[in-house]
Amino acid sequence: MPLVETRSVFSGIPVSEAMRRQVISLPFSADIGQGIRMMIRYKANAVLLTDKSVPFGVVSKTDLMGAFYADFPTETPLGDVMGSQPIACFPDDPLESALEIMEAAGVHRLYVTGANREEVIGTVAYSEIVGLLYRYCRACERGTAKKRMKLSGIDPSARLTVREVMTQDVWSCRDKDRLFTVIETLSTHHMGAVLVKDEAQSPVGVISKTDLILAYHHGVSQETESREIMNKPVHSVPAEELLSTAIQQMLINDVQRLFVHRDASNPDLICGVLALSDSARFRSGSCRACTAGRMLT
Amino acid sequence: MFARDFMDTQFHTLHPQQNIAEAVSAFQKASESEEKKIFGMMVTDDEDRLVGMLSMYDVLNYVQPKNVAILGEMEDLDPAQVYSNRLKTIRSILVDDIMTTTVVTVQPDTHLMVIAEIMIKKHIRRLPVVKDQTVVGIVYVSDVFYWMMTIFTSNDA
Repeated sequence: MPLVETRSVFSGIPVSEAMRRQVISLPFSADIGQGIRMMIRYKANAVLLTDKSVPFGVVSKTDLMGAFYADFPTETPLGDVMGSQPIACFPDDPLESALEIMEAAGVHRLYVTGANREEVIGTVAYSEIVGLLYRYCRACERGTAKKRMKLSGIDPSARLTVREVMTQDVWSCRDKDRLFTVIETLSTHHMGAVLVKDEAQSPVGVISKTDLILAYHHGVSQETESREIMNKPVHSVPAEELLSTAIQQMLINDVQRLFVHRDASNPDLICGVLALSDSARFRSGSCRACTAGRMLT
Repeated sequence: MFARDFMDTQFHTLHPQQNIAEAVSAFQKASESEEKKIFGMMVTDDEDRLVGMLSMYDVLNYVQPKNVAILGEMEDLDPAQVYSNRLKTIRSILVDDIMTTTVVTVQPDTHLMVIAEIMIKKHIRRLPVVKDQTVVGIVYVSDVFYWMMTIFTSNDA
């Protein structure tokens, strides 16, 4: 029987290449307020909880959003609201196997340990792997981007439009909806942010998980209306906008997603969402033939 | 030689409820009035109790867009525009959200050698001097260094 080996852009690359040595951690007895401060300060989506420096659990923005929903006081210990156990890998594990673990466990971050499994020496996050993919694929001679460039003589990433990359599912809430309704919407659809519309169905803002935990930290009630904490304006692009321009806009505004409107003359007509991770993958020209490319879809 | 002998009693503070744009403005004003660059400021509450420290690094770390490392191939980006846009959009972030809350402090009667030891071992450039929970001064690593320099130079003479 022939042995088929699947090679990807990440073949032969260890976790240590994409690993970040800074580990955002707190003792499990630290309170929710400290956890939120840590997430905001380091722009982290999760904090490792430790018990006498030994990994104990992980608390995510979703967990803290749940604590807000359940009306827990912000003095509650993080250990009481943590949602999962830390999943670990070794620095010399292949990056592909780290991606497989993330996919199987439904997480976006792994903790990296050395020979002593109780000592976390770094983290490897989905976003950092997307970054590597972006760089390697742009340099890959076999990538679709390079192939198209050879044929046309023009950088294809500059010609991709937002419409080709966006997803069409857009979830929204009303500006008068209470925050607990927003939390329910985000939790039900496993999203990072929701569009806020006014009575006339015009988009007026965006609320993300970060906005919700900030509101929690600032003592805002979950009975508060969405419009009180939403981010304005809605960052949106026309569907026919060049992908490279949209990526630049996300970078400048430090947002993970842009809403997409059908045409420039009617920015209120939102028809899709463009995620930064999708954009990076497409702009890099990562191939469907590449295992890693498939994993990151 | 104790902290009280060479601490700076003219210091500027931030309030935890100021937003980051206001904090940046406070850094500018403090630098102008002191005629030297201010790298960090103490954060005090309504009762003048020390509740944290905010450094230039903390602000830069927050203002820096998160995904620059991922998409860092945009040489044509104007940094002034990027940072200006960032500062406009982060008015909801308060000093309290990103300040360091675990602050090492000394007392007015802490010995100079102990202060130097803390600064060296913990890589700290500035130490708030606290008495009865109230900030009474601040000691900078430059104060310690230049005081030592005066000893060296007077011995040489």
